[in-house]
Amino acid sequence: MTALDRILTVSGKELTDTLRDRRTMLVTLLTAIAAGPIFFTLILNMAASQAEKARDLKLPVQGAGNAPALIAFLKRQQVTIEAAPNDYEAKIRSGDLDVVLAIDAAFEGDVAAGKAATVRLVYDRSRDRARAAIESAESLLRAYNRQWGTQRLLLRGVAPQVASPLEVQGVDLATPQQSGSLILFLVAYYGLFAALMGSIAVALDATAGERERGSLEPLLATPISTWQLAVGKWMAIGSFDLLVVLLTLAGFYLTLNFAPLPAIGVPFLFGGAELLRFVAILLPLVMLLPAVLLYVGLRGRTLKEAQSNVSALVFVVSMVPVVQLFLQKKEPAWLLWVPVSSQYTLLARALRGDAIATAVWLQSATLPLLLTIAALLAAARLLRREDVFAGR
Amino acid sequence: MIVVDGLIKTFGKQRAIRAVDGARFVAADAAITGLLGPNGAGKTTVLRMLATLIPPDAGTATIDGFDIVRERACVRSRIGVLSDARGLYARLTARENVRYYGRLQGLGGTALEARIDSLLGQLGLAALADRRTQGFSQGEKMKVAIARALVHDPATIMLDEPTGGLDVMSIRGLRELLRSLRAAGKCILISTHVMQEVALLCDRIVILGRGRVQATGTGAELLARTGEASLEDAFVSLLGSAEGLAA
Repeated sequence: MTALDRILTVSGKELTDTLRDRRTMLVTLLTAIAAGPIFFTLILNMAASQAEKARDLKLPVQGAGNAPALIAFLKRQQVTIEAAPNDYEAKIRSGDLDVVLAIDAAFEGDVAAGKAATVRLVYDRSRDRARAAIESAESLLRAYNRQWGTQRLLLRGVAPQVASPLEVQGVDLATPQQSGSLILFLVAYYGLFAALMGSIAVALDATAGERERGSLEPLLATPISTWQLAVGKWMAIGSFDLLVVLLTLAGFYLTLNFAPLPAIGVPFLFGGAELLRFVAILLPLVMLLPAVLLYVGLRGRTLKEAQSNVSALVFVVSMVPVVQLFLQKKEPAWLLWVPVSSQYTLLARALRGDAIATAVWLQSATLPLLLTIAALLAAARLLRREDVFAGR
Repeated sequence: MIVVDGLIKTFGKQRAIRAVDGARFVAADAAITGLLGPNGAGKTTVLRMLATLIPPDAGTATIDGFDIVRERACVRSRIGVLSDARGLYARLTARENVRYYGRLQGLGGTALEARIDSLLGQLGLAALADRRTQGFSQGEKMKVAIARALVHDPATIMLDEPTGGLDVMSIRGLRELLRSLRAAGKCILISTHVMQEVALLCDRIVILGRGRVQATGTGAELLARTGEASLEDAFVSLLGSAEGLAA
């Protein structure tokens, strides 16, 4: 009997065992399949309703009679003017209203006296949903301000350029796919998350579970060596992890390409090429995470103990992309060496439609590969320790 | 044949706990040897060392001439172990549990299936063979664990407290099985603290106390040496009366 036969025997047994665990299977696989559809329906509906808000702005106005010229300008810009309720501040706080324009009673008098007239734009910027309405109201008021000022200068025979010597022209180099970076973040993040969550239940059952139910001691008395046992279990966990990742990505792919989603421009591409790139980028993690979980799981005497150890790992892996998102700086080049971080970066790049160079992929896979080997060796060593089954 | 020569095993900080302290005995082929001792005497540790699960600090032991440290692989394919921990895979059937160990022992194909059938039949598990072990009773689980330990027809069989948690019928069945294995020429070593087991089953008794062999011999020899009427009294007198409480 060769080493490979033994490894395959262990893998086969672990996979059979796993697939028969109906509850874990249902939860893991259903979440993987359902994640994409649910996720995109929510995100895209949000994006669609924001786009709608920006398109036809309904603006409640208090004191509309105080500035008829401004109201006429807004109406010309397709804004629907409504009378604001008296308790509009409370309604904005509670989220019933997005933004309200309040025109000062002294508006006409100030204008006549040559003073700056006051309008107040009332909103709660902490509300993401309201952002589009706030921004378009602000930009309309800016436009009115500019138009009015320009007219006054022209009346006095002054060229408008005198008052605005600097003309700022924004040139947006983002391809349509590059905008919507939050959505982009979420998709890349979820890809990583699938690689992590896909293997936890299986890994713990095959390690701490085996210790807890007392089946590890007799197993170690058979001719299998500890490294064969570690590799066999790792292969089973890794295969299952790969299955979960593939199902999750297939869910993404099918939803984005075939589901009747709201008709707004999806800010990124997720076609066949991106699907393959995602799988390739995540592959190093599909090797690394099961190996780390194998080691961490074996350190736990019971499932419960192992679970609390694993939650530390989950925290680290899930925080890395969040930290990266909030750093808001261009990533330093060495980040591409760091496991998890490099995968997240490459996933985001793939979503933007960039090709991933082989050299870059190899760079991102180097450390995960070395760490996988290290974790497997450490797991095999752990299995040789006398307290791995003693002192239960 | 098992030859144990001065095995020492210590645990804990500064190796302060001497679980096995120079044990020395022989278990012959075609015989059932009983390792008898109170709780904490070192029975399980001796069996774990013989099963190559933990290395001794000092001393040697051989199984059919193979050293338990240097020739671990040879030893492992020659022994069948029912260890202290005897967990099964609940989601696998009885047959699959046994098959897994058969494969790891290098068996396969129809020979393995035939062996599993005959073992499960012998243990009275034929009807349960293809059911998951999830709902098995204590005795049924034990039988599967025994079948698993014997699947490769090992020449040396070691069982740690094999009757623990079993009912009378199951214990009788187990005794019969062990006698038939003895008749087939196997070297059988069982550890127990149940006196009745030893009296009924064992050809030779090794009494272990404080990690050391306190006495060896047949039941009759031990009775003659201590001048006691029952094996239990002989056991207590050999260990010193306080031993049971102290341990």
